[in-house]
Amino acid sequence: MIEDIHYTLRRLLKAPRFTALTLFVMTTGLALCIYMFSFIQSTIQAPLPFSGGERMVRITINSNGTIYDGPSVRLHEYLELKQRLTTVDAVDAFAIRGANLSTGDRALRYRAHLVTPELFSLSGGRAALGRLLSDADMLPGQDNVVVLGYALWQELFAGDANVVGKTLTVNGTAHTIIGVSEQGYRFPSDATLYLPFSLSTRGIARKDSPYVAMYARLKPGTQRAELAQEVAQYFNQLRQAHPQLNSNVLGHVWTFQDELVGSGGTQIVATMYISVFMILLLACVNVGNLLLSRALENTKETAIRSALGAPRATLIKQMLIESTLISVLSGTFAILLAGWGVEVSVDYFATAMPIEMPYWWHANFTQNSLLVAFAIVIATALLTGLLPAWRATSTDINTVLRDGTRGAQGQKNARLSKLIVALEVALSCALIMVSAAMVNGIDTINRADYGMRTTNYITARIQLPDLGYESEDSRRQYFSTLSTLILQQSEIDQVTMASSMAHTWGAYNNFAIEGQDYGRMAQYPAANLNVITNNFFEMLDVTLLAGRRFNNQDNKDAPKVVIVTQSFASQFFPAGSALGKRIRYVEQGDDWFTIVGVVNDVILGQPTGNNLIRTTTFVPFEQMPRSYMHLAIQGKGKQASIRQALERAALKADPSVPPYRVMSIEPAVAERVAGMNFVSKVFTLFALASMVIAFSGIYAVMANAIAQKQQEVGVRRALGASDSEILVHFIWQGSKQLGVGLMFGLPAGFALVNLMTQAGLAQSHPLITLGVPLLIATVILAAIMVPVSAALRLEPAAALRDE
Amino acid sequence: MTALITLKNLKKVFTTEDVETHALSDINLTIEQGEYVSISGPSGCGKSTLLSILGLLDSTSSGSYELNGKQVTGLSNKQRAAIRNQDIGFVFQSFNLISDLTVLENVALPLRYRKTLSRQERETMAMNALKKVDMGHRTSHYPGQLSGGQQQRVAVARAIAGDPAIILADEPTGNLDSKNAELVMTLLDKLHHEGATICMVTHDPRGAQRAERIIEVFDGRIISDTRAAQNSVVA
Repeated sequence: MIEDIHYTLRRLLKAPRFTALTLFVMTTGLALCIYMFSFIQSTIQAPLPFSGGERMVRITINSNGTIYDGPSVRLHEYLELKQRLTTVDAVDAFAIRGANLSTGDRALRYRAHLVTPELFSLSGGRAALGRLLSDADMLPGQDNVVVLGYALWQELFAGDANVVGKTLTVNGTAHTIIGVSEQGYRFPSDATLYLPFSLSTRGIARKDSPYVAMYARLKPGTQRAELAQEVAQYFNQLRQAHPQLNSNVLGHVWTFQDELVGSGGTQIVATMYISVFMILLLACVNVGNLLLSRALENTKETAIRSALGAPRATLIKQMLIESTLISVLSGTFAILLAGWGVEVSVDYFATAMPIEMPYWWHANFTQNSLLVAFAIVIATALLTGLLPAWRATSTDINTVLRDGTRGAQGQKNARLSKLIVALEVALSCALIMVSAAMVNGIDTINRADYGMRTTNYITARIQLPDLGYESEDSRRQYFSTLSTLILQQSEIDQVTMASSMAHTWGAYNNFAIEGQDYGRMAQYPAANLNVITNNFFEMLDVTLLAGRRFNNQDNKDAPKVVIVTQSFASQFFPAGSALGKRIRYVEQGDDWFTIVGVVNDVILGQPTGNNLIRTTTFVPFEQMPRSYMHLAIQGKGKQASIRQALERAALKADPSVPPYRVMSIEPAVAERVAGMNFVSKVFTLFALASMVIAFSGIYAVMANAIAQKQQEVGVRRALGASDSEILVHFIWQGSKQLGVGLMFGLPAGFALVNLMTQAGLAQSHPLITLGVPLLIATVILAAIMVPVSAALRLEPAAALRDE
Repeated sequence: MTALITLKNLKKVFTTEDVETHALSDINLTIEQGEYVSISGPSGCGKSTLLSILGLLDSTSSGSYELNGKQVTGLSNKQRAAIRNQDIGFVFQSFNLISDLTVLENVALPLRYRKTLSRQERETMAMNALKKVDMGHRTSHYPGQLSGGQQQRVAVARAIAGDPAIILADEPTGNLDSKNAELVMTLLDKLHHEGATICMVTHDPRGAQRAERIIEVFDGRIISDTRAAQNSVVA
């Protein structure tokens, strides 16, 4: 065995170009495959790190075809579902609130999770210091307690060991710190601090019910589909009981992991897996073909060994050593490369994404990843080595002599070459198509026209706490004061506010049009509801197409007014002008809003899927004052000075309400599509890798096949074929292989593109559909032209003498 | 008789890495229509090079070559291909059939390069040629499914399918056993009797004796040119 390994190593070293090429191709294929698997396993499909984590599911809603994540179930609904569900052994919910933490002279903005003690017990939470929440903390009057996350404890209190018992002011109310959660634990995802789940339905109408994030643990042996059925039944009944609130709402059950990635996640992961599998297959085909060529070159040696009494199994074993060595060496390089790739990618996610990474993501290779990497390497060694070894040792010398009609490859080998080229065409066609469609799709997203200016201003968010801002007047007062104070800063020229902006998300609301009867089982239309201050359109270059903008007369006492987008007007009032018509937001009360203006279409949030087709309505802030608003600030000088000016103004307006997520609009918009850009980069890498592997493979196989046909070229020329006829003959042969490859590659490509289009990430283009086959055809043409031209440069007699 | 081939002062020099090898020197040769000529000599004497030049598969270094009364030295690749297709039929030692074409397709291959023939005409001519060599029953077989003798008969059929002015055979029995070799030689005899002009390179003295004219080549020169009827030596 050692002798065989030594012999194989010597053979590999004797052919350094062959060895380098096979190692390069194999390492590329394996590295991408192992990287993708490890990255997905370390992040978007990483298991929840506690016992029973695999049975944990999220319950959210699907409203008007859009699946919502986060807190999307009304508290009323959660409490009702909790009573009804039988397929789970635990049901719980949490809410997320902005928490303005006051320390000394200023407030800092964090997100607080309002949770029950059950959350900790279900997720294996433990205290590093003090204790976690108990049932007693849930009682009214006992709920001014807080559990700090480990990182917050380090940040605010520098890891003070005596922090338990101290007071922290949260949203203006003093809270006693009862404990610190252990390091690394941030369930349900990226929690910073925990407050008692104090929400109650007492005295709250269903329509005003707060939204909570609901989750459950399936009973052992129960399938997610069974729970989904129970949830669906409940929402069906809800639709009948409360049509105004639930006309277009369905329940949705999914894993924590899927919820985090979003509704297109499954398709993205599936396409990534399919793509890397295809790249690995391409690499295997190429390396297998190279090994086969070498094995066939050594047919005589194999025959001599066989004649000397070597059993076939021994010969195959010796040949397998070569593929195993190549695969193991490539596998080692690939694991190192993939490990580095995962680390870089996780870093990218940590810095470029608008959300914090969930605590169960990690940049390390898991044991599972290593096992899979090992299995892939072994499978690759067998796949690339076994077939060539089998073929090479199954050759009967007599058959070789009989099949050795000069001027052509052996028939079986010729067929194999054709098959390999067709396979490479099919795989590369599908891969390049989906990658090109992805890059095109993301490019379209990056160049999207939001219908409003997305350059040269700074954005910030303000969330007013409940305490002190219960009344609408107090909110009006706060934002009016803030606006005045901001404009007093010399660095700032303009400021406007909106509940939704290009880089955030739209709030989709059901509405009714005056004079239309929606019946008892109402199916209301829906549109984004964006609450804005009066100068929003002017400052952000939204064009007024009809009617008027909001003005100071549109105050709280004036008749309610609304401005709609052009597509809203044409969709809901196709026959005539929308101006003067009235609508009512069915979940927002009984007020009718008169349409006074029409503006151009806008996109709120990621410019994909439903966001592209959703219509938007705008309501003046004075008539619907919100506690949560986004600011757009334009000024002179550097971002830092504008930021400081904003902070000074906010501090004066209310020191307990800090502006947060203060940043330029450009990166804010880019952040929203960072995930997509990451996927786009991955697919660009796929496209490049598949092009390099497939095209070098196609070229090698074609050139080798034609080189072996040098004698055939001589024969055809001897029989009177002109140079152009020879060339046409080989081009025709190549085009048949191209045709067969495209016959499989194009449908596979369309299927993959379709999968990614469903995820809102890919966009096909006629240029892709035409360009990819054309590109492959060009490679095939080059792979034919070069060796055929070389053969034609020889005198026919020399070609005929070729051995 | 009319001269089909006339070579005057023909030379062929191979130059490799500053070494000049004179493969053929001062070749003067005339082949009449309907003649059956054998060229023989030891290995490396230049007989195959001579046949390649006669078949326009290789170029001359100097001298003139007239085929059918037309000067063929200095022609373009395309013109040479057209002459090969129209006037020359080749039979090679190792058959040189194309393995992924059937027997019928192999025989019809030179006819495909004549733009004037329909598919049906090509198939009829190919079939006739195959019948002449007794291979009409194996038309849909592939070369790999035939014995060596059968493959060479198919190669002969391919050489005669287009009714060429001359058949050039390069060691046609070199890869065959004696029984099959005899079959192929009988076939060439028959073709000659039917009027074909044949020029055959062989190192087999018995094969050479079947020709009516025997040319011996040594060291790139013709050292004897013997006719079966009259024993004249030209050097």
